[in-house]
Amino acid sequence: MRYRLLLFAAALLAAAALARAESPKPGDAKPADWRPPFEVDEETLKVLEESYRAGAYGTPNLPLKTDENYAHTPRDVEPFRGTPPHKRHFLEQMEYTGPGRAIPEPAEVKTVKIGFIGPIEPTVSVATGGKSHEEALGIPMLRGCQLALEEANAKGGYLRRKIPFELVVKNDNGLWGSSGNVIIDLAYKDEVWAILGTIDGANSHIAIRVGLKIEIPMMNTGDTDPTFIETNIPWVMRCIGDDRQQCYLLADYLYRKLGYKRVAIIRASNRYGRFGVREIRDASRRMQNPIPVEMAYQLTTEDFSLQLERIKASKAEAVVHWGDADHGAKILNQMRAMGMNQPYFACDRCCSEEFVKIAGKNAEGVVCAYPWNPDRKDPKLDAFRAAYRSRFNAEPETYAAHAYDGMNMVLWAIQVAGLNRARIRDVLAYRTKPWPGVTGDIRLSACLDDIGEVYLAKYEGGRWHYYSREDLQIPRGPQRAPGDHGEAVAKD
Amino acid sequence: MRHRAVILIVALAIPIAAWSAEPASPPPASQTQAKGLPYVYTNWKHITKADGLPNDHIFAVKADGPRVWIGTEDGLACLDKRTGEIRSWVYKDENKDGKEDTGGLPWKVVTAIDVDPKTGDVWLGLFGGGLARFSAGRFDHFHQLNSGLVSDVVYGVAIENDNVWAATTAGASRYNPKTGQWTIFTEKNAPMEEIWNYGVAYHKGKVYLAVWGSGCLEYDVATGRWKEYLDPDGEMEIDLHRDDGIIHVIVTGASPVDGALWISTYFGTCRYDGRHWRGFYAHETGLPSDFTNNVKARSADECYFAHDKGLGVVADFPTESVVAYTRDPKTLRGVAKVYQHGKHLYTVDMEKGVPHNFIIALDTDGNDTWVGTSKGLGWAIGTGYYAGVKENPEWLSKAKPAPSATASAK
Repeated sequence: MRYRLLLFAAALLAAAALARAESPKPGDAKPADWRPPFEVDEETLKVLEESYRAGAYGTPNLPLKTDENYAHTPRDVEPFRGTPPHKRHFLEQMEYTGPGRAIPEPAEVKTVKIGFIGPIEPTVSVATGGKSHEEALGIPMLRGCQLALEEANAKGGYLRRKIPFELVVKNDNGLWGSSGNVIIDLAYKDEVWAILGTIDGANSHIAIRVGLKIEIPMMNTGDTDPTFIETNIPWVMRCIGDDRQQCYLLADYLYRKLGYKRVAIIRASNRYGRFGVREIRDASRRMQNPIPVEMAYQLTTEDFSLQLERIKASKAEAVVHWGDADHGAKILNQMRAMGMNQPYFACDRCCSEEFVKIAGKNAEGVVCAYPWNPDRKDPKLDAFRAAYRSRFNAEPETYAAHAYDGMNMVLWAIQVAGLNRARIRDVLAYRTKPWPGVTGDIRLSACLDDIGEVYLAKYEGGRWHYYSREDLQIPRGPQRAPGDHGEAVAKD
Repeated sequence: MRHRAVILIVALAIPIAAWSAEPASPPPASQTQAKGLPYVYTNWKHITKADGLPNDHIFAVKADGPRVWIGTEDGLACLDKRTGEIRSWVYKDENKDGKEDTGGLPWKVVTAIDVDPKTGDVWLGLFGGGLARFSAGRFDHFHQLNSGLVSDVVYGVAIENDNVWAATTAGASRYNPKTGQWTIFTEKNAPMEEIWNYGVAYHKGKVYLAVWGSGCLEYDVATGRWKEYLDPDGEMEIDLHRDDGIIHVIVTGASPVDGALWISTYFGTCRYDGRHWRGFYAHETGLPSDFTNNVKARSADECYFAHDKGLGVVADFPTESVVAYTRDPKTLRGVAKVYQHGKHLYTVDMEKGVPHNFIIALDTDGNDTWVGTSKGLGWAIGTGYYAGVKENPEWLSKAKPAPSATASAK
């Protein structure tokens, strides 16, 4: 009888425990081989441990990144700066709160697939109403990815299982939201672990909307549209300085350094042009130098006289162009032919050999915003250049270099985290140290955007020279003091 | 000896019972609000793969009489509420040619569902697979290459009279199955600054499109005219004034009912009564989060929000009563927190609540509510449901008062 009662008591205990702890248990234990296959710093180990511990129902017990102000926006360039906003967005890192961290790794995989989407094949373009125009950017982006992946495979591939990485390449043809279909194919049919791409702002937006639903890490290395990251998607990160950063530097140079008062804008009539100039237009107005005229041109046009006549009539002291390199150079040539000698400023796409080839001697003195400094002395950059030249018999440019960095970040994250999309995301998203890239240190903000330094490129003496803010002694606008969020107090 | 053993069992049983049930002490009477308190769902069922769902990642749920249609990341299911029986359909590609087998579910990821009240046809939005009609046991497939569907990436579906609307990543499409006519709405013929449609809803002669980057668009079926609802400050990184319009232009859902339009965004939620806007932020209301995947209104005063950190309910708009349902990640028990005017008043501990805190899809169903999460479907059973607020509701006996009922929500 005594034993039966004790047995009953034990059964009671077990039943209560079972009732309380539903399977699967929160914070399932790490597998025996959870440690990365190479040495990583303590912070990364902690992120990985916490990512495992979060399990299906929790989130990593890690501090979220916070920023004092969004994108280093100077105080005098903030929107509605006279009125504290009710709410400021993008100051605290988004969390991924889904159950993805508990998805078990697949038992059998032959290769570790990573998706690539970019404009690499000619097609019809909605933006141009004719031939597509971004292959010149997409092909180097693909090459940068290929090089990073081939180097990883040469070092043993995916080290946890000793299998190669594989790049699944898709063309971004930009028609009718096709980038969404591509992301779905990559995720559900090809079963990739992360995706890199693309360049066009609209297509990138479509891609990340799909990526959010699917829950897959999306690394962007070529879309400089500021709104790309302003979407609160915890799966998206970008490793290139965007047009917001580039516009801020350009505006500081135009107004705080050079003292212009009337700067005209000419831009492409597409999303790149429309969103690219938004920050310089707003910054100009907020710095008491409103843009006297902003002219858009169709991408099919060769004659810019209508736009330039208006700009000429506006008595602009300088002209800013936002669009592709060929258009930028043709506009510059027509300006000079019309006797317009205003200084010419442009976006990073114009800092290219194509621009110089078309503009000829008119290129002298042109200043472009640029997301990095290719003249930087860095053995990593030298090695990348040498490897790229050797592999592709071409000079690596900005899209190749950023893609190389972005792909290396993704490869590192997969090696560290293993085959789990949420953990791959975590080791990148919670990383606080800058990534030492060939394009420089890549520091991700609270909304996982590259907020490292951007530069100005000047064409002088037959080549581009790159200058930092410090090099040109460009004054910086007033920044928020720590703790000053300027929040309005909500009153009901 | 026998007595000692009995004592041991009792001694063991008491703390066990206390530990597992965690009964709440009755709240002080002074804390019961004079205006009353909202309804709290305390009876939940979880429906998962173990019960017969094809997948636990729930993207869509639609109640239709005794049937509940469930769209998952890997197939479609139908639950019979009366029997608990679940039927399911999965995408099959037996010959591996990349195309669905004839007559079967055309694609595995079901992101939207609506049921035509006239015909009983079930319309499915497929994520990357277009649109499907399930009728008489057969699936008919509409996609970019065989119809006027503007994109195969479908986020939302709604029935409007004889028409079926599909919100896609490249615009909206309207299809009339009687005439076979398709109409496409993009930036060319609608006020879409961006064409990335996220949701669609129909109510009393008007179609509402939730558009990522273009706010909420209202289409008057009779006149063919559009009306835009946008964030007046026009800025992505701030909301200048809370109650001046839509919280943010990245709109994820719209739910019109009884003269009120409820809207969800990734930055907060809001309500419009035709004259006044009211924004809801988590830090002011007690809603679990600002990141909101979806919205479903039961009335002009009651609305359900699918957040990434739980289910948020504006349970009674006039009294600003909010209930936040979450699942405790440590105990896995359900938790409901009751707020009024942003002040946390009570916490109700439950054996079960929402199946997971990442809420994706919602539907109201009489007194019940269906909650699709990224890890199972929740059935909130509305026994004793009441609209608005009432004094001393039944759940109060299971509730614990908040540590400081006068403290702010968070």
